[in-house]
Amino acid sequence: MATVKTLIYLIVYPGLLFLFLYSTFVEWYDRKLYARLQNRMGPTHTGRFGLLQPIADFFKLMAKEDIVPDRADRKMFSALPAVGLAIVFTAMLLLPVWNYSLDRPSVTSFNGDLIVLLYLLSLPTFIFFLAGWSSTNLFSTIGGARVLTMLFGYEVPLFLAVLSPAVLANSWRLAEIAAFYRQRPALALVNLLGFVIALICVQAKLERTPFDIPHAETEIVGGTFTEYSGKKLAIFRLMMDAEMVVAAGLLATVFLGGFPGGALLGLVNFIVKTLVVIFFLSLIRATTSRIRVDQVVSFAWKYLAPLAILQLLIVILVKGLLS
Amino acid sequence: MNDQIVIDKAKASLGDKALEITNPAPRRIFIRVKVDDLLAAVGWLRNEMGFTHLATISGVDLGQAFELIYHFANNFTCVNLRTEIPRDNPLLPSICEIIPGAILYERELQDMFGIVVQNIPDGRPLVLPDDWPAGNYPLRKDWKYERPPEVIPGGKK
Amino acid sequence: MKFQIPIGPQHPALKEPISLRMTVEGEIIRDADLRLGYNHRGLEKLAEQKTWIQNIYLTERICGICSHSHTTCYVQGVEKLMEIEPPKRGQYIRYLVSELERIHSHLLWLGVAGHEAGFDSFFMYTWRDREIVMDILEIISGNRVHYGINTIGGVRRDLDEQQVKHILDSLAILRQRSEYYQHLGTNEPSFVARLAGVGYLSREDAIALCAVGPTVRASGVPMDVRKDDPYGIYDEVPFEVCTAETCDVLGRTVVRIKELFQCYNIIEYLLKNLPTGPVAVRAPRRAKPNEVVSRYEAPRGENIHYIKSNGTDKPERLKVRAPTLGNYAATIKMLKNGFIADVPLIFAAIDPCICCAERAVALVDARSGQEKIISMNALKQLSRQVAAGNARKREAEWPL
Repeated sequence: MATVKTLIYLIVYPGLLFLFLYSTFVEWYDRKLYARLQNRMGPTHTGRFGLLQPIADFFKLMAKEDIVPDRADRKMFSALPAVGLAIVFTAMLLLPVWNYSLDRPSVTSFNGDLIVLLYLLSLPTFIFFLAGWSSTNLFSTIGGARVLTMLFGYEVPLFLAVLSPAVLANSWRLAEIAAFYRQRPALALVNLLGFVIALICVQAKLERTPFDIPHAETEIVGGTFTEYSGKKLAIFRLMMDAEMVVAAGLLATVFLGGFPGGALLGLVNFIVKTLVVIFFLSLIRATTSRIRVDQVVSFAWKYLAPLAILQLLIVILVKGLLS
Repeated sequence: MNDQIVIDKAKASLGDKALEITNPAPRRIFIRVKVDDLLAAVGWLRNEMGFTHLATISGVDLGQAFELIYHFANNFTCVNLRTEIPRDNPLLPSICEIIPGAILYERELQDMFGIVVQNIPDGRPLVLPDDWPAGNYPLRKDWKYERPPEVIPGGKK
Repeated sequence: MKFQIPIGPQHPALKEPISLRMTVEGEIIRDADLRLGYNHRGLEKLAEQKTWIQNIYLTERICGICSHSHTTCYVQGVEKLMEIEPPKRGQYIRYLVSELERIHSHLLWLGVAGHEAGFDSFFMYTWRDREIVMDILEIISGNRVHYGINTIGGVRRDLDEQQVKHILDSLAILRQRSEYYQHLGTNEPSFVARLAGVGYLSREDAIALCAVGPTVRASGVPMDVRKDDPYGIYDEVPFEVCTAETCDVLGRTVVRIKELFQCYNIIEYLLKNLPTGPVAVRAPRRAKPNEVVSRYEAPRGENIHYIKSNGTDKPERLKVRAPTLGNYAATIKMLKNGFIADVPLIFAAIDPCICCAERAVALVDARSGQEKIISMNALKQLSRQVAAGNARKREAEWPL
């Protein structure tokens, strides 16, 4: 029974199948929302309300010609998309959606999984950098350099903002943090500032406007992905969608009280809460313009990092008052 | 009114250098100078008269000679400086030292008429391809465009 | 670590082919070079072989956005050569279309600026409202882009009461929307952060490099052909020359938005004072030998045509200088020491119209004029040979 459950956990929910379908849905949701905010229609054609459009795009890209540049490091160039996808899908397994018990830590939910998840979410950034670098295209190289430059900006505020709720909950385990805020919803308000900071940092991590600098098409064509085509590009795109789901799931767990209620109710919780987070991400995307890479770093260190430290101080104060 | 002031000043300052001054329409003054006096006339227009804006340089193929018209303008009026250079020895001094913005127009003249602009800061071809056959100057009146024979790849020989 | 990056001739930021080569150091541009000619069509040569009337439609095709600018500039020159004066009503309609075209061009530019700065929502909004102007133009002329409304001696179509009313109603919507864009374009923090201080062009440089249009006006030089050299009816229409003092892309945005409001005022004035009478007079087929310099303020800046006639029904010489060519020298100056990220913005800020700036020669085959037919397999083999001969090497060094 336990084996079957683990298999289902890995393959069906929240593993491969669910994550694949849900990330395509999230892409549709993001595209539709972005389009409606811009007074456009968005996808309408494939499936009802264009719901199947991202899947159609995925399969279309899979069927396209796959080119590896002559000067690129062939092995690394081909391995990167698969490795990246694996990392993101692994990160998904750490989210406390189902099949965990609060009392008994398991492989998918243990003390310190918050840190592991943050680490797994940092890796895709390096994958993007390596992808840009191993393409040897000038535009990709610049894109890769920009990925790293941005990383130095947003990573520290993101860690600080996500860790401060954990400090208040006195746990490094996602399931316990979520349970803590479910018991005391009022305390979740303390982390409001952290939530806003984390939203902005996640937007930067996902490389969406105003932080779509590494693949700013009007400046450096495709940026990191200039040389990628066909299957590899399809996998990269899927990876970015899945990363958005995982990042939204992380924020929902840490700030919005997780996904209680077992398999079915937990699923509903998961979908509603991640969609709320993604709604904010789309809103930011629609209402801002792309900024320069030096502006990202100065913005992150001038505003985001001090505010994140302020959030941490507030949390420590509140914690002192509570005890 | 404005035109008369400019014409009077041109007569006073340029003297003999201005071969002909006409004023065919309001705010349109044409001054003809010799090519040797061109730099002096441009310098006078820009520095003393305040005609800082060079609209463009028009080249006309007159048959035996090329006529060049420098269109200057400001909010006062519009002065067109006209000069001629012989076709068999088309040498023209560059005015880029006085008006840096003239560079593209001079490069275009080189491409289109085969005029040799002396002392031009950057004389590479501007609009014609790098491997354009030498001695072909499209805006000369005797230049005819010949369409290359169409070859259909894989078609009949 | 210096390297050269090519922007163009094919690049997503450019809608038309032009080649900019940037020598960059990290993210900073040290040198910029420009290469034209990818879109050269030999229009000046062609114009010498067409009649006066045919050339109206030829000049219309110099540019897609400012098609009316080129025909008007040409037509008002030819009218002087032929010594005819178009009737007042015809002139009013002609310059009404001019101003509508200016609105459409500026709205388009605002959208493009938004897109180049990665602000796609702005782009979608302005282009949606541009449709209103396009519809008005379609109602007046029957076409959205190449209006074909000018003819020598006047215009080809008249306006009726209903059309006038429709235009005035649509203008009210546009005016309201433009106010919103003015607010958005000058207040949205991330957008302003991208525009302010970018592409600095001092007043002295702008004058020395002979920049035109909004580019020079944003550097604080009130140069506008409509005021300096009033053609047509502009000496009787009240309007202001819009300038900005910031000398950067933000200034160019502000100038264009301000000009939108001036356009609305001009159009309202023209429609309310529309004289009665015919819209065109008959024009002769030939023009006496003469020459004329015709200037026109296109949406992008000063447009100048030099027309020379030789007594036949064809021009002896038609020289066209579109505003974009006048702005290239200034662009190179603006690009130096900027960021790569600002290249599309700076370049877009002059509102480049590459096909305007390049008019003169039909390109023969780019190589020797000969074509070589080669099979796909042979080509593949050739590429493999070349690839095998080249040692694999990396162009860039590891940064860390």
